Amino acid sequence: MAAVRSFIGILSKRLLLGGIAAVVLFLAARFVFHFPPVFQVMFVLYAALGTLVFILLDAPAVPTFSGFKAVVALVAFYAVISGAFIAGANFLPQYDPQVEKGKIDKIVKPKLAATDKGKVDELLKRSEELNAQSQAILKRLEALGGEEAKKIEASLGGGAGPAAAPATTGGNLIALGKEQYDLQECYNCHKIGGKGSVKKRGPTLDNIGNLMKPEEIKEKILNPRAWMAEGFDKEYAKKQMPAKYKELLADTEVNALVAYLSSLKDASVQTPKPIKK
Amino acid sequence: MKTWQRSLLMVVGLLVVGTAAYAQLPDPKVHEFPYAGNRAAVWVVAQMHILFAAFILGAPIFVVISEILGWRNKDARYERLAKEVTKVTVILYSMTALTGGLFIFVLLATYPQFTAWLINHFFAVFAVIYPLLFIAETIILYLYWYTWDALQGPKKLRHIAIGVLLNVIGLTTLIVIDGPTAFMNTPAKLAEGGMDLRTFIETTATLWDKMNNYSWWPLNIHRTVGNVVFGGFITGLIAAYMYLMAKNDEERAFYDWFGFVGNLIGVGALLALPFAGYLLAYELCDYDASICPYMMADQLSMFFEMQGAMVGLIFLASNYYIWLSMKRIEGIERIRMSLATLLLMVSVPVVFMLVWTKWPVPDLMALVVPAGYVAVWLLIGKFIPWTVSSQTMVKVAFLMVIIGNAIWMTPHAFVATQALAPDDGSLSLPHGEVSLRFVTVSWDMLALMPAKNAAAFTLVFVTIINYILYNRALRRGRIIWGKIDFAAQFVLVFLAFSAIWTMGLMGAVRELTRKYFHVFNLQYDFTPESFTPTLAYSSWVITGVTLTFYIVVSFAIVLTLRTGKDKAHAEAPKAVPAAAGAK
Repeated sequence: MAAVRSFIGILSKRLLLGGIAAVVLFLAARFVFHFPPVFQVMFVLYAALGTLVFILLDAPAVPTFSGFKAVVALVAFYAVISGAFIAGANFLPQYDPQVEKGKIDKIVKPKLAATDKGKVDELLKRSEELNAQSQAILKRLEALGGEEAKKIEASLGGGAGPAAAPATTGGNLIALGKEQYDLQECYNCHKIGGKGSVKKRGPTLDNIGNLMKPEEIKEKILNPRAWMAEGFDKEYAKKQMPAKYKELLADTEVNALVAYLSSLKDASVQTPKPIKK
Repeated sequence: MKTWQRSLLMVVGLLVVGTAAYAQLPDPKVHEFPYAGNRAAVWVVAQMHILFAAFILGAPIFVVISEILGWRNKDARYERLAKEVTKVTVILYSMTALTGGLFIFVLLATYPQFTAWLINHFFAVFAVIYPLLFIAETIILYLYWYTWDALQGPKKLRHIAIGVLLNVIGLTTLIVIDGPTAFMNTPAKLAEGGMDLRTFIETTATLWDKMNNYSWWPLNIHRTVGNVVFGGFITGLIAAYMYLMAKNDEERAFYDWFGFVGNLIGVGALLALPFAGYLLAYELCDYDASICPYMMADQLSMFFEMQGAMVGLIFLASNYYIWLSMKRIEGIERIRMSLATLLLMVSVPVVFMLVWTKWPVPDLMALVVPAGYVAVWLLIGKFIPWTVSSQTMVKVAFLMVIIGNAIWMTPHAFVATQALAPDDGSLSLPHGEVSLRFVTVSWDMLALMPAKNAAAFTLVFVTIINYILYNRALRRGRIIWGKIDFAAQFVLVFLAFSAIWTMGLMGAVRELTRKYFHVFNLQYDFTPESFTPTLAYSSWVITGVTLTFYIVVSFAIVLTLRTGKDKAHAEAPKAVPAAAGAK
């Protein structure tokens, strides 16, 4: 009985200290360090974990039991930890597979079509549908700089890759280039319009169209060792940019990506200067 | 027919039938698994096979060491531990063969074209080397088991030699089968200006070129260490079950000690696991830098958050086991440690993070400065008189495990994909740069690799300190085996469960880094299931696999050890009570 009373005392003390720690950490994260709300919650959760651990350290010894009681206890224990692990995994932010499914379709389907002759007709049919849609997009995009996109396309010349995209012009090419930027997940290392990698892996690209000619951008994509962004010596030395795009992308897809990047001319955003290597 | 004969027959049968099935694939039909889908079917069977294989490859490593210790120190407990773990291994070996055969069938039924392509590229491995090694391992394992009683006394060394041979063959099997596995992640470096990858693999590459790929050796190291961790914690599980079923103090004393050794093996190897994992991730990122953000920042970022949580829980639980074990040592209150060690422990995460930011790995200074820092503090400890109690040390150690784990789990942003990261920074760690004389610091440094390495080192360092403390208590105090807090058995169960769950999680991560490829950058996965599943969905699959594995292992433990308990009991040492330091 005395042991129980002693543990209740310890429990109260630990809960009080844990509560104080949680409040102090929360206030410090919010008002001193100006952390976002999700990190403030994280601080409180760690205070709770610490409290639980320190309560367990001084908890009274569990008496030995066996037989049916032990089996029930084990099964209950498995249920609790299974539930806790599943709940923990569900609590964290979830990636929506639908986003990726759409992307994969766009990347993989042309490759499948290219390797399977039986799919050629289907591809042609789809191309016609896409072309009809692209014409509609073109009309809308031409008003937003289509003439410039046409010039870029002319300077790069055409090309037929293993999975050649339908003939494209002007703003349509820029739209397809932006799509390639998303499909290849370039945003994981680069930033455009403030969106993209929160970690410094690759340079911001907002003004890259003013700093590099289209053929230079193309050279960089196909051979990443040809150019380096100023201030990215370490990343360049570590070959952060993969040299795989010349094999994974069709020529038309590369041209579209170049057209999109060349159209980025926001001089107000500081963009690292490219250095020829 | 004896067990080993049945198992050997089953392995050969499965290989023959599997090969025959493969041979009949001119125009293979793809079978669809109802409800779960083909990917989940392959996932479950492959993971089950890996779990059984991990145990039968990991356990013999420390079984032989235990046998040697028992033989040299004339300590019957080590001999009995080795024999009981081997007994369970023999039963689970059949399950490894069964799930291995099932894995081949499911692969052939669900991904026939790709499976045929892979077998063609590694024909010598799949058709000759691997089956021969498997058969050799089967023979040696059963030879090791069935000669145990016959090769005693002066013949003991011969038995140990068989055990060593078993490990050599086991490790070779692991290394061989890791070749095609690693190939799927990192087939070959894309040539810059030379031959393209597809042409190289399809025309020029030899079997060795394909085996000796970027992630082969990192995977071998990671899996070997992981298997020992796994084997250690399963040994702890065996001990916990047997402790629960024990009928007298002698049994409890033995299985208490058994659990202690299992935890020691698991934790000992666990200390190296974060670094082996880091090496594998480093090589994957070095192979193709786009894998890194996919793992750490994009679709798999929250898988790594979960991994951080699991690693933290495993370290907390293993240290809690040490704490419970230490509490029953008589004279523990007399054990003290230098204040300098405590201060060193507290300062490690911050100091090491700054050092590794200034001199990133693999800079030589990244090794020299931390080593010097630790050495200086230990030297100071020799000259200052102030000490702290073991209880204070352990409690501060727990605090440092929590802080280390908090650093490990700090992400750049709480988002499941960078594509959807909000601009306003409401989910991202703030920058808040401050310039010090030595190095410039900012809050978002906590999300970078130097901080993660410092956190991993903190967890490892704290655990080592706790074991040093425990060892001192063992040498100077008096331990009574069998009198440990009963909660310790549940800690052993928790450790085994968490280790298996984490293994399933990280196995999924390694497979998913291939993205929508069967073989990264080389063989596209054209099936509709080539997307990254959510962590929530994955957690259900992983938990299901873990529970299924647990049910089989629990059955094997109860069946093999409980039924043969009387015989084993006759060999049990009279172990209670014993002086802690006694040999």
